[in-house]
Amino acid sequence: MTAVTDTDDRPTNLWHDAWRRLRRNRLAVAGLVIIAALVFVAAFGPWLSPHDFLSQNLDLRNHPPSASHWLGTDDLGRDVLSRLIYGARTAFLVAMGVTLVAVLIGLILGAIAGFYGGPFDRFVMWFTDITMSVPQLLLVVVINASLKQPISLWMEARYMETLSPIYRNTQIIDFVLVFGSMALITWPPYARLVRAQVLSVRNRPFVTAARALGLTNRLILTRYVLPNAMGPLIVAVSAGLGTAMVLESAFSFLGVGVTPPTPSWGNMISDGLRVWTNYPHLLAAPAAVLAIATVAFNFLGDGLNDALNPKGQK
Amino acid sequence: MTAILGIKGLTIDIARDTGPVRVVDGIDLTVMAGESLGIVGESGCGKSLTMLSLVGLLPNRIRATGGKAMFGGRDLLTLSPAELRKVRGSEIGFIFQDPMTSLNPVIRVGDQIAEALIWQKGMSRSAARTRAVELLDLVGIPAPAERANAWPHELSGGMRQRVMIAIGLAGQPKLLIADEPTTALDVTIQAQIVDLVRDLKDRFKMSVVWITHDLALIAGLADRIAVLYAGTVVEDAPIAAIFDRPTHPYTRALLASLPKLAGEAMTRLPSIAGTPPEPGRRPPGCPFAPRCAQARPSCDQAVPKLAPVPGGDPRHRVACPVALEGVAA
Repeated sequence: MTAVTDTDDRPTNLWHDAWRRLRRNRLAVAGLVIIAALVFVAAFGPWLSPHDFLSQNLDLRNHPPSASHWLGTDDLGRDVLSRLIYGARTAFLVAMGVTLVAVLIGLILGAIAGFYGGPFDRFVMWFTDITMSVPQLLLVVVINASLKQPISLWMEARYMETLSPIYRNTQIIDFVLVFGSMALITWPPYARLVRAQVLSVRNRPFVTAARALGLTNRLILTRYVLPNAMGPLIVAVSAGLGTAMVLESAFSFLGVGVTPPTPSWGNMISDGLRVWTNYPHLLAAPAAVLAIATVAFNFLGDGLNDALNPKGQK
Repeated sequence: MTAILGIKGLTIDIARDTGPVRVVDGIDLTVMAGESLGIVGESGCGKSLTMLSLVGLLPNRIRATGGKAMFGGRDLLTLSPAELRKVRGSEIGFIFQDPMTSLNPVIRVGDQIAEALIWQKGMSRSAARTRAVELLDLVGIPAPAERANAWPHELSGGMRQRVMIAIGLAGQPKLLIADEPTTALDVTIQAQIVDLVRDLKDRFKMSVVWITHDLALIAGLADRIAVLYAGTVVEDAPIAAIFDRPTHPYTRALLASLPKLAGEAMTRLPSIAGTPPEPGRRPPGCPFAPRCAQARPSCDQAVPKLAPVPGGDPRHRVACPVALEGVAA
């Protein structure tokens, strides 16, 4: 044993054990590998994609897979593989953005509500119930129909005035507006989960012991309660990432998510669906990737659940 | 000797939907500087609540509703939460019952001790770490520098209780409250912990309040014992007087139910018939009267007050007029 180790290296023992159990779970490892590969592809997309995802080649429309276009081309002659790779960027950006914002909101509200209780707790729970009752699809459609156009027009006007290229970027509207609104309605499950965990941890004896030491509430919450309440949240985040990814595809499929020509697996499936009887590869490729990604997140989520809740195992 | 803690007429109520229920009913207790006081009583008699109320750690819906608790010239019951937080740890230290669950499982034990020092005393991290190792050494943990890096689950129950004691001592409190710290431990370890606390009490010049239901264990530690029954003090006496001249019928019954190693062959161990009254359903008079062999009709009239035992140690006080009559006669 070393005499002095850095106090801040804390992959705590709980995490250590959990990691060991996770590694023994083949499905979870497979999920993790697939997700890592997808993240790698998304991160290095511009260098990995064989063609520009936007460049059209009208001589080569709906081409089946070939040596130069591994997954063929779509109805505008764009390379499907490159579009899939950029679709992965969209999918991960949205999934991570939505989940990060939702988890942060849920964590802060849930932790404070659960720890301090009282009127704030009641208010948060009331607010959570109301938010949960908002139909997600409907909200996104409403935002698309009401806010998206005025903002686009405003940005165009700003562009005319300033000629600044940021106002040209329609992706900003998609990501900030549509998926921002998604984040704002997907936080309630996280808030409830964190609150429930905090409620159970805050009455454990070591929290009373910390109080008896005269530690401040904030310190007790951040150092004693939250670290011991994290396990279920990690599982929920892993599942939530997969859900957000599917949700992004679903919205894009319905035409209320990412605006073409920005590629998304969802709008590629939507495009492919119209012509699938003649060009099945245009539907098969994005659908297969989406399915694999979703299954990978579910395997990882299940694996994490088993790894972090050892009592649930046989 | 001066008193460092003076509790007078403390009452604690649980707020139930049907109205308040009194669990601690007018406790008077004094702790002298450098003294160790044992508080003995059955589960639910209010021992722990009394001590928790001093530092504002009562659970939700339980509240100190009356009386005074003078400590360092202030009435603890009137302090604000922020002032009480400063009292906790640095003036009144606690050791809790269950060392298995009283340590934060995700912080190394050395860091948990250091945490207390950093936040109470404003020590630097490195100074606090050094002090934490010293404290671990002081509570008799072998190879303290290595153990400081251990996770709580890597230590045995006895070791963890030593760590808890080190944490309780970190702020160098004037008063250490030990709430049944040995209940969860093996008998051999219990004796070690008792010895350790006795040593540390002298070294740190603290007073110790030791809450227990084990009279035999406390005999080796306490200078004075207060016997609690149903939220009141029924007998308060120096340790020798408790064992030589137990006067209250409840104390006598408690002592009679201790197993003895020497003497006549063991028959069935005597127990006290009946159960303590539920809070809120206490008899109007002496709370022990329904279970007392010597009870008279007059016992149901009024709650007896503590009175000195004639001819004994002046500090020996008993709340039972019947027993006092017997002594005088």
